[in-house]
Amino acid sequence: MANTIEIKVPDIGGHDGVPVIEVLVKAGDTVTKDQSLITLESDKATMEIPSSAAGTIKELKVKVGDELSEGSVIAVLEVAGDAAAPKAEAPKAASAPTPAAPAPAKAAAPAPQAAGASGRTADIECKLVVLGSGPGGYTAAFRAADLGVDTVLVERYATLGGVCLNVGCIPSKALLHAAAVIDEAEAMAAHGVSFGKPKLDLDKLRGFKNKVVGQLTGGLSSMAKQRKVRTVQGVGTFVSPHEMEVETAEGKKLIRFENAIIAAGSQSVKLPAFPWDDERIVDSTGALELKDVPAKLLVVGGGIIGLEMATVYAALGSEVTVVEFMDQLIPGADADLIRPLAKRLGGKLKGVHLKTKVVEAKATKKGIEVSYEGESIPETKLFDRVLVSVGRSPNGSKIGAEKAGVAVTERGFINVDTQMRTNVPHIYAIGDLVGQPMLAHKATHEARVAAEVVAGMKSYFDARVIPSVAFTDPEVAWVGVTEREAKEKGLKIGVGKFPWVASGRAIGIDRTEGFTKLLFDEETHRVVGGAIVGPHAGDLIAEITHAIEMGSEAADIGLTIHPHPTLSESVGMAAEVYEGTITDLYLPKRK
Amino acid sequence: MADLKEARVPDIGHDNVPVIEVLVKPGDKVAKEQSLITLESDKATMEVPAPFAGTIKEMKLKVGDEVSEGAVIAIIEADEAGAAPAQPEAPKAAAPAPAPAPAKAAEPSRAEPAKPATAGGVREALVPDIGGHEGVPVIEVLVKVGDTVAKDQSLITLESDKATMEVPAPFGGVVKELKVKVGDELSEGNVIALIESADAAPVSAPVAAKVEAPKVEEKPAPIGGRGILPGNAPEGDVAPTARPPFDSRIVMPGDAPYASPAIRAFARELGVDVHQVKGTGRGSRIMREDVTAYVKHALASGARPTGAPQATGGGLNLLPWPKVDFAKFGEIEEKPLSRIQKISGANLARNWAMIPHVTQHEDADITELEAFRKKLGEENKDLKVTPLVFQIKAVVAALKKFPQFNASLDVSGEKLILKKYFHIGIAVDTPDGLVVPVIRDCDKKGLIDLALELGEISKKARDKKLGPNEMSGGCFSISSLGGIGGTAFTPIVNAPEVAILGVSKAQTKPVWNGKEFAPRLILPLSLSYDHRVIDGALAARFASFLATQLGDIRRLLL
Repeated sequence: MANTIEIKVPDIGGHDGVPVIEVLVKAGDTVTKDQSLITLESDKATMEIPSSAAGTIKELKVKVGDELSEGSVIAVLEVAGDAAAPKAEAPKAASAPTPAAPAPAKAAAPAPQAAGASGRTADIECKLVVLGSGPGGYTAAFRAADLGVDTVLVERYATLGGVCLNVGCIPSKALLHAAAVIDEAEAMAAHGVSFGKPKLDLDKLRGFKNKVVGQLTGGLSSMAKQRKVRTVQGVGTFVSPHEMEVETAEGKKLIRFENAIIAAGSQSVKLPAFPWDDERIVDSTGALELKDVPAKLLVVGGGIIGLEMATVYAALGSEVTVVEFMDQLIPGADADLIRPLAKRLGGKLKGVHLKTKVVEAKATKKGIEVSYEGESIPETKLFDRVLVSVGRSPNGSKIGAEKAGVAVTERGFINVDTQMRTNVPHIYAIGDLVGQPMLAHKATHEARVAAEVVAGMKSYFDARVIPSVAFTDPEVAWVGVTEREAKEKGLKIGVGKFPWVASGRAIGIDRTEGFTKLLFDEETHRVVGGAIVGPHAGDLIAEITHAIEMGSEAADIGLTIHPHPTLSESVGMAAEVYEGTITDLYLPKRK
Repeated sequence: MADLKEARVPDIGHDNVPVIEVLVKPGDKVAKEQSLITLESDKATMEVPAPFAGTIKEMKLKVGDEVSEGAVIAIIEADEAGAAPAQPEAPKAAAPAPAPAPAKAAEPSRAEPAKPATAGGVREALVPDIGGHEGVPVIEVLVKVGDTVAKDQSLITLESDKATMEVPAPFGGVVKELKVKVGDELSEGNVIALIESADAAPVSAPVAAKVEAPKVEEKPAPIGGRGILPGNAPEGDVAPTARPPFDSRIVMPGDAPYASPAIRAFARELGVDVHQVKGTGRGSRIMREDVTAYVKHALASGARPTGAPQATGGGLNLLPWPKVDFAKFGEIEEKPLSRIQKISGANLARNWAMIPHVTQHEDADITELEAFRKKLGEENKDLKVTPLVFQIKAVVAALKKFPQFNASLDVSGEKLILKKYFHIGIAVDTPDGLVVPVIRDCDKKGLIDLALELGEISKKARDKKLGPNEMSGGCFSISSLGGIGGTAFTPIVNAPEVAILGVSKAQTKPVWNGKEFAPRLILPLSLSYDHRVIDGALAARFASFLATQLGDIRRLLL
């Protein structure tokens, strides 16, 4: 039996904690005596540590980044010599191919080696190319152009605006407006005003939605022209650190750029359990097409997008079932925020099923046959349409980033610094593909930073909080610290919560289920978070967001005069609740 | 003999990669390296080759399965030939090839085109194209029979009339037979050795072979790259990282500076780390005036705004580094600086910028010294006594006479530390860059000892075997370019030393000896020194003393 020894770091001149910068061997390697095992880098120089004996590496004890001193064990070596006792069959050895190169221990996101310049003549030269024209991309292009940067905007679709304007935020809000009117009209029947059952002209409704989209995207095109931003339509991919190739209708075009901003966004996660070749399986884009109103709709995923579409289709007359894998709708928001929403949805939808997932969806002639697994199995198994809205995945790995040397994480995100720079200093990334939350208003803010840095300004992404809004009915909005996070981290937080039953305006619109909640740092009384559920919560959250950025104290909010009678009063009153100065509620003395 | 073996997924760098195609079915006969399945990661597709030849007994994967390293692809009844390398008599061959020499790491993905050659077979290592030279003599054989060689490991050294070159192994394996010996004259195509190729080595990394895989190779850190572009350098910035969607620390008053968005942007504009600013507003809110006051105070006290150590270059208000897109003007190639180049580059830049350099030039008449050295060389044939050894001795004598040169400024810049030892640094040019090994106690060593040590340490430097203790503790450095040429240059002081001697090429020149011009061998010396420590007159005396010592080495005995 071969004996094993430990290979240790020899005397390295009295230095301690010298970092390993390269590991030259791996377990299973046969090494000769004096063959280098690892490279250390002191502040003076690099040196390779040789093996003190020949043999086979059994185990490596160090990895890149470890700091070693004399005597640290580098590896366990099975000493050669007794190697005459090879196993009768050694299938493993034969079937384990050795990579030609020593695989350097994997760093978190290894920066790829950029490709060389193509050597071709560029069709377009510019100072800045922006890949993607969503809210992030067009904002970056326009801001840069306004700062005098010669900019080209590359968009794969015929209209600018990306997912948000074309198949996301904007068209969904047009449809949600229709849904809100239908619901409100119906609700008024109880108060003496009846409109009768709504008559749906789906073509007209779709036309309204398309007009809304057209107005905004058309506006973008003309603003691009006014700013002399050149737009190129086609799928753009990097071919080198300074070149991008765009597949346009007229053939391939090569753009040579000095700087680039990657704003290529994200796309819906297409769960493989679903037969995606069947047109009855849709993602948010398909649902927003509004082809028809399916009699039975299954929404897989009870997040913001799924619930917004559930709200629309329920109002238009579909029987909607929602299935969510987690134990709460809109996971991430505080539970108390979701209760009024869940209650109202319960009355409008066929069912909301938590801790349940779809395990199989079969396309049959009659519909999509679904089987579930979990704690709350829906009655309905056969649907005319299934909307899969389980999240979005970044497009970082679809743009040839590695050719430009830009590191992309395994999940497709691109890491950036606070100036939105990637690991390649002249290439920036913004929006969905730099990380959560995937929200348009985050992208536009990042876009301005990136564009300004390209233009030579000292801009940084310094925003502290990013508000989130679900445009459901009631709307749910939150920003900054949540009670959940405060609890998990043991933060000393005080809460001021104002229920809308005490708001004259909420009573007047017969929507008293909502509340406004503010979270304060107990020591300084500064507001650090807030959440609102109720109609127009998305509009109301702006004041809290501003207050957090300004570091406002409870009294700053409470002593600001809010107009009466409005829902915005609830923000001021939540602060008064915390201060104990509220008069619109009776609260027993706290102290 | 039927031998059922499992074909497994090799290291593919990713987990849970879906199978998008199965290329074989049970009953199929497969050759070694024939593709079995196609995987598609989010980066690229890659085919997984059979690790050995045989007949597929059973497929363990189907389209849509997600696999990671080690997953069984199929059960294969191995052919005898394919199984051979795993047999006991060749345990070495079956073992993975040792890690290739570091030089190779520079181009890892240039995977060898998978040759259909039977793996594990004995193959010939041939002399490659050596520039049309014929009959080039072998001056050294670097391997012997039985050695395991890695691909690209040098097998022999050839010496043409132009240069010496080492011939690398075209593949890894065990040397079975050597066909050449020292003195043989070789031409392109001659067989050097028979090498039993290491199994699987040529198959190697399907990823690398199949895909233009992004090389998992260390790139110059982006921060460093930006550091040299002061105009574009982020102040107090961090490297690109994954950002959590939200963390309470960003707003909790204990962690977050009490400043509004506009004030934070204003601080950024001035390069001020807002964390450092003390607020004077209500509840210690940081006001605009607090930021400006901070900057005024910082400027007045001589400190620079924090968080911008690279950008401001030690207080120098420099123009941004010119940004040129070179590829616009023609073909270019990017080559990362070696580690040593990066390290020494940063040191040289600091020393050049922070030390007020003056260079004093002097000529030494070394006619007699050279005569003595030649004689010494004849007496000690196995030892190379270079002029540098004498220069070291002369420098030690000069340092003894002028202790100010054997000194360093302390960190405060207010004290001079005089050293009572004489360790001399020697600048050595290596393929990877400049290193400065230090010879210790030169005052206690004789010429022969110094010559021996100099030879050793230079070799170590070139072999990258120098430890940090062999490169620290120097008092004074010598940079000799005399072997190459030149009449004078301005060496950069190797901080915290205070002077450095540059040596150029000695030439015979006519020198007036009072009656006539006599041919004398003149060695140009260039002494750069830190003017904060040494003044010009002292430097001139030092240089002239040095020249005198070299002019008459008997003085070294004094």
